Amino acid sequence: MILLVLVVLTAALAAAAPALARAMGRDAGLVLAGGLLALGLTLGISAPWTLGETVDFSVPWLPVLDVALRLRLDGLSLAFGLLVLLVGALVMAYSARYLGSGPCSAFYGLMVFFAAAMLVLVLADDLVLLFVAWEATTLCSFFLITLSGPAGQQPAVRTLLLTAGGGLALLAAVATTVVATGTTQLSQALASPVWSEDPLLASTVALLVMVAAFTKSAQFPFHSWLPDAMAASTPVSAYLHAAAMVKAGIYLLLRFSSTFADVPVWYVGLVGVGLLTALMGALYAMQRTDLKALLAYSTVSQLGFLVATTGIGTSYAVTAAVAHTVAHALFKSALFMLVGVVDHQAGTREIPRLRGLRRAMPVTGVAMAVAALSMAGVPPLLGFISKEKMFAALLEFPGPTWAGVLAGGVGVAAAVLTFAYSGRLVLGAFGGPAEEEPAEGLRRPREAAPSFLVPALVPAAAGVVLGLWGSAVAPLVTTGADAAAGATTTGRGSVTDADLSLWHGLNPELLMSATAIALGTVLVLARHRVDRALVGRRLFPLTGVGVVEGFRTGSIAAGARVSALTGSDAPRRHLAVPLVVLLVLAGVGLTQLDGLPTPQADLTRGVDWLLLALVVVGVVVVVRATSRLGALVVVGLVGFVVALWFVVLGAMDVALTQLLVEVLTVVVGVLVLRRLPRHFAPAPRHRTVGAAALAVGAGAAATAAVLAMTGRRGLSPAGEFFLARAEEETGGTNVVNTILVDFRALDTFGELTVLGIAGVAVVAALSSRRLLPDRAPRTWREGSPVVSPGESAVVARTLARVLAPLTLVVSLWLLWRGHDAPGGGFIGALVGAATLALLFLVARSDSSAPVKVPAALLIGAGVVLCVAVGLAGLVVEGSFLEPFFIDVGDSYVTTALVFDVGVYLTVVGVVVVALQQLGGVLLPGTGPGEDEPEHRMALEEVLDRKESAALAPSSEGAGPGQEQSGQERSGLERSGLERSGQERSGPPGGADGSAGRERTTGGAAR
Amino acid sequence: MTLALTVGVLVAGAVYLMMQRGLVRVVLGFVLVAHAANLTLMAAGGTDRRGEPLGQQPDPATTADALPQAFVLTAIVIAFAITIYLLVLAAAGREDDDTDGPTGGDMGGTDVGPHLGEVSTVGAGTSRGAADAEDPHEGEDPDEEMRHRDDVTGVPS
Repeated sequence: MILLVLVVLTAALAAAAPALARAMGRDAGLVLAGGLLALGLTLGISAPWTLGETVDFSVPWLPVLDVALRLRLDGLSLAFGLLVLLVGALVMAYSARYLGSGPCSAFYGLMVFFAAAMLVLVLADDLVLLFVAWEATTLCSFFLITLSGPAGQQPAVRTLLLTAGGGLALLAAVATTVVATGTTQLSQALASPVWSEDPLLASTVALLVMVAAFTKSAQFPFHSWLPDAMAASTPVSAYLHAAAMVKAGIYLLLRFSSTFADVPVWYVGLVGVGLLTALMGALYAMQRTDLKALLAYSTVSQLGFLVATTGIGTSYAVTAAVAHTVAHALFKSALFMLVGVVDHQAGTREIPRLRGLRRAMPVTGVAMAVAALSMAGVPPLLGFISKEKMFAALLEFPGPTWAGVLAGGVGVAAAVLTFAYSGRLVLGAFGGPAEEEPAEGLRRPREAAPSFLVPALVPAAAGVVLGLWGSAVAPLVTTGADAAAGATTTGRGSVTDADLSLWHGLNPELLMSATAIALGTVLVLARHRVDRALVGRRLFPLTGVGVVEGFRTGSIAAGARVSALTGSDAPRRHLAVPLVVLLVLAGVGLTQLDGLPTPQADLTRGVDWLLLALVVVGVVVVVRATSRLGALVVVGLVGFVVALWFVVLGAMDVALTQLLVEVLTVVVGVLVLRRLPRHFAPAPRHRTVGAAALAVGAGAAATAAVLAMTGRRGLSPAGEFFLARAEEETGGTNVVNTILVDFRALDTFGELTVLGIAGVAVVAALSSRRLLPDRAPRTWREGSPVVSPGESAVVARTLARVLAPLTLVVSLWLLWRGHDAPGGGFIGALVGAATLALLFLVARSDSSAPVKVPAALLIGAGVVLCVAVGLAGLVVEGSFLEPFFIDVGDSYVTTALVFDVGVYLTVVGVVVVALQQLGGVLLPGTGPGEDEPEHRMALEEVLDRKESAALAPSSEGAGPGQEQSGQERSGLERSGLERSGQERSGPPGGADGSAGRERTTGGAAR
Repeated sequence: MTLALTVGVLVAGAVYLMMQRGLVRVVLGFVLVAHAANLTLMAAGGTDRRGEPLGQQPDPATTADALPQAFVLTAIVIAFAITIYLLVLAAAGREDDDTDGPTGGDMGGTDVGPHLGEVSTVGAGTSRGAADAEDPHEGEDPDEEMRHRDDVTGVPS
């Protein structure tokens, strides 16, 4: 329970941090430091200090997957948890003085959240929870680096790429482990016998864990992000390098150490990569003149030491690793904060520009020297003890003696360089003539305020105290190493006691330490010569950052190339892909055709050939058509022929539907075409040939498919059932209609919904994108009756006055009789819609056309009615949409008829939507009615400049004030207005004034 | 046989139209392919029995299968609704229905024909935004001119 409280409190602190920072500014850091310190002390007090004891806590999270919020505090968690919280407290207190007066809520929030994520990470006893916390730290570091402004963005992305890539490796490791061991509990999974039973599995998971840890702890070849992330502010770097981000990788390695210590991939990989990184990082640190960059590479190097020592895997080595983790956290946090102080006070952290700090900032200088000596491994500091233990551990390398000697030798070489760069750090900042004036453009440095210095002094002093008084930290290291070495789980020997005293007698590791210090001193004394030889020299042709950046830009370019393959607006590119695939499938299918049943007799009749010929003629004309209108009309005619096909195939209902749909398609099509150019853009020859080739192939494949796969069986059992039982089951004798509204009403309902959505989609599309303006030809002779809709449609209008009521009645009659004879909701509705289309076409003007039915209401009412019928069926018959009979006198009505009414309403609604939206019908309540000047204004606005220039001079009432109101109107109104103004008003090209006159007379006629 | 050929002809015409530039032709191709699909469904029901499935006790030996007819009936209406929607898209926006227009299509208006994968990749990833910002009259091709001429000529007076 105490663990949950700790985690929740840390998270709560993170949540409160932004508000606190807003209220208190940078001083919030002091409060947060107090909070983290209190949490750290609580952790220390509640911890099990005896061997093998743990504190456990668990609440189910995803019980199905056996994932739980399992927390477990053992020695290793304790060591890392204390580092996270206590170093976090120091960094927070430091931030309170380091930060400027600007907003810092994001910084504090992320930093404390970082601490919370790290705490969960080291406490997690669930693999999934471990992974989540791991990723949270990745994200935290990413955001903290981006906080440093534009300069931090590229480094932040590179950091994210590398560390998130490592996160994927960890995810793979977690998944494999869970599958292999059958548990998500970390401690159980680690103790599972499968690792020793299956060496390949163990090697695979070990490799994945290594990759994850290497990315997090900046090991070769993933080391580049850590120096890159230096772009972050100093407190972030201090935390990142000392206790948080990079230590997560070390923690992971230590946690898995007991399980994989005997896997060759593990120890060879860790020791090899670790020592290589230690050497390489140290060498790079020798080259830097920026103090912070020097420290960044020193972290890479020190982490290399830790990884190598962890790889040795003996209990002694693990003790060394834990001890050095503590030592490193202390001296590295101190050094970073002190470099920040120098930067803050002197205005630079470039070694060549720093002068005279020795006298100006003595306290800072001494503190930095102490911390650096700890890093260099000089007695009597904690760093000496831990480094000596690491030397001894490296000699224990499992394998031949020469390998151990080699490992120790490389370790000493890296330590020599460590000593040398520690010297460069201190002497570079504080060496040199003390009296010299500061470099140009810099102020004279002064010692920092005590409150700024103290957080940095504490860890530096701790290095001295713990070095002299090793037994103070020994219990922490001991329990930590015990847990890591798996003394409790695997039965390995217990560490019993980590002897952290300074003197162990004369032994090889003392000799190694002495060698490192001696050679290091030589390098420090010759530092000017060494600097000349190393600084600014390119040691390798590749830089890590360059490689990562190359990968980043390369992957983006590759993505662009891939998306370019399909990144086209041209529909034909997208349509061609499935067509070609279908053709290939058809080709494959043809080769597989075998043993088909013989076709039925009498499949073809004489009249069929006539229909085929008509279709051929129609299709040929359509594909050769150059005019949009022509193509539309001929497609309509082809539709009529298809309707005839339905007639000869005995599908009267279908034929009626097809016929009506073709009529309405042409009507809607014409409304669209008047806004488009008359002619199609001519296609280049090569495209015509390509399209024709694909077309012929597709046509042949379709014919072959129909020939092969149809007409080879008798009536299907389902078809037989419907024919035999339709009347008996439903009372209807029109079998097709009974299928639609009785047997398969749910299908029909689904299709109805599609219709309704299409109608709504039309409205939605046009409310976001306006229709194109009309392109009606404007070169008609003036005075011709053709141009006046009021006069040209007199005959049709008169006819419609008679026909419309009649067809409406027919439409309802078709709806009524549909159950027993050709007709039904679809057909009736199409007849009704055709009537409305007729009324629209013969209307005096678009805006006044009598199709002002609320279309959305029709669609909605239709769907709702169908749902109601369905629910009634559910209640009465126990099944959704099951029809039942209602007695009316001595007759009866089936609810299927009511369902058909719903169909009717929806279909009519969709057509009305099209007429209103495309036809420019002014709906009640949406338009200004017959406000003449506004008509003119809307018209002007949509015409292109040339046209409006011809119109504008004589247009009446087109003042600037109304222009404004014209522009404010919605696209819907405008599309209606522009059309009514432009097309129906007469020949604008002929005489400017006639348009206005026409409208006036039109209005008078109304 | 005849129905299969009809389907083939319709599919061929539809595919040809769909491979063209203007969205209107693509929509017309869609209408034709819908016809083809519907006739294929009818063929699946068998064309040897052609009696109407109406009246009391229709003879299963001569009456057409009613199930494909029901499918086709709703399919026609759905295709109609989709056609309306596609036509609206053809007429909406700032440009006409030419999908290769200067602000869209093949990124910069280069026409590389119907061959797959043959796309101009010059700055492909980033050119879209730039192309949108371009003057719409930039990079006009002969087709574009042709369409402008349409507006001028119209119907002879």
